Amino acid sequence: MDQLIQENKLSKEEIFETLNQFITEVIGEEFVEEMDITPASSFTKDLEMDSIEIVAFSEKVKNHFGSNIDFTGWLSNMDLDEIIQLKLENIINYIQECQ
Amino acid sequence: MPVIDLPNVRLHVQELNPEGQETIIMVHGMFSNLAVYYFNIAPMLAKHFRVVLFDMKGHGMSEKVQTGYDLTSMTNDLRDLMDELGIEKAHLAGYSYGGLVALKMAARFPERVGKLAIIEGPDPSEQETLAIIDTYSREFLIHYIENFADTTRLLAGKRQLEKNHRMYEFLFNETSIRSDMEAEKGFFNDPAVAAISHETLLIYGEESNCVPSGRTLASRIPNSRLVLAPGDHNVPVQQPEVIGKELTEFFVRYDEMYVTDALAGCG
Repeated sequence: MDQLIQENKLSKEEIFETLNQFITEVIGEEFVEEMDITPASSFTKDLEMDSIEIVAFSEKVKNHFGSNIDFTGWLSNMDLDEIIQLKLENIINYIQECQ
Repeated sequence: MPVIDLPNVRLHVQELNPEGQETIIMVHGMFSNLAVYYFNIAPMLAKHFRVVLFDMKGHGMSEKVQTGYDLTSMTNDLRDLMDELGIEKAHLAGYSYGGLVALKMAARFPERVGKLAIIEGPDPSEQETLAIIDTYSREFLIHYIENFADTTRLLAGKRQLEKNHRMYEFLFNETSIRSDMEAEKGFFNDPAVAAISHETLLIYGEESNCVPSGRTLASRIPNSRLVLAPGDHNVPVQQPEVIGKELTEFFVRYDEMYVTDALAGCG
């Protein structure tokens, strides 16, 4: 739908901004205002996202960055403890590698 | 976010490997959502099948509705979803109350169900499930989240606690879920359950209070096999790899000609 046509590789900052926007859409602006979202933020501990919110976030990532990244497949190789530890920067790095 | 309009309700649906030849539809349990399958179990099955996950009404990101949590309404929803997605026949996997939905589906629409996998389906005449509802309180909720919820190992922060609290408040106080579940007490004694002829896998956690329910089903459904996995009622969360492997072996066994490639990685 809003798939991005990439002429050039996105920088880490640009990816971070996009992911930040998705997080805001998933958990709501009123909660995000109270948080300091950084690349070092972890999904479950810092952002307090639960599994269904991570699903919603994953779908936004897939729809936006397109089919050349297999975000769900990447996540499925992690066990739950790794998903709990997952930080925004891990995803930023993954998306950069896939570009 | 794919939310699909059905005649009676709007449901949040996720699909993996849409090109798969055969389809498995997975049904989650009460007070849970499709995320219980999404991260581990569904991707394992998606190496071989088209996998459809959905949030039940009132749960996850599906529409919040006040009535229709009984098994007949739930299976009407599932039939409507299959119609909408153009799925004539699918294998079903259901966890906890979702297992009862899968059983009811096989009983009501046998021609639309392939194989049947029931994980920790509780006998609704046992008081365990209903007792959880009756003892509901905020203190109980905290205890529940820490010990029993699918999010067991995800630390519940304040926002999550409140979100969960709102979900329970809604389901218990504003919907018919309690009376709908109570009305299903006699389900295991329904002759339609004993008449299920589908190949059926019953997976229960060996430490679970629901094991007797599994034995009851194993004795009533002729073409069934009971497997005990390490864990309790939360076995899909505790042992997703074990459950994913059991389900894959069960569903793939006679259908290996349809094996499709795994979801492509990024390299």
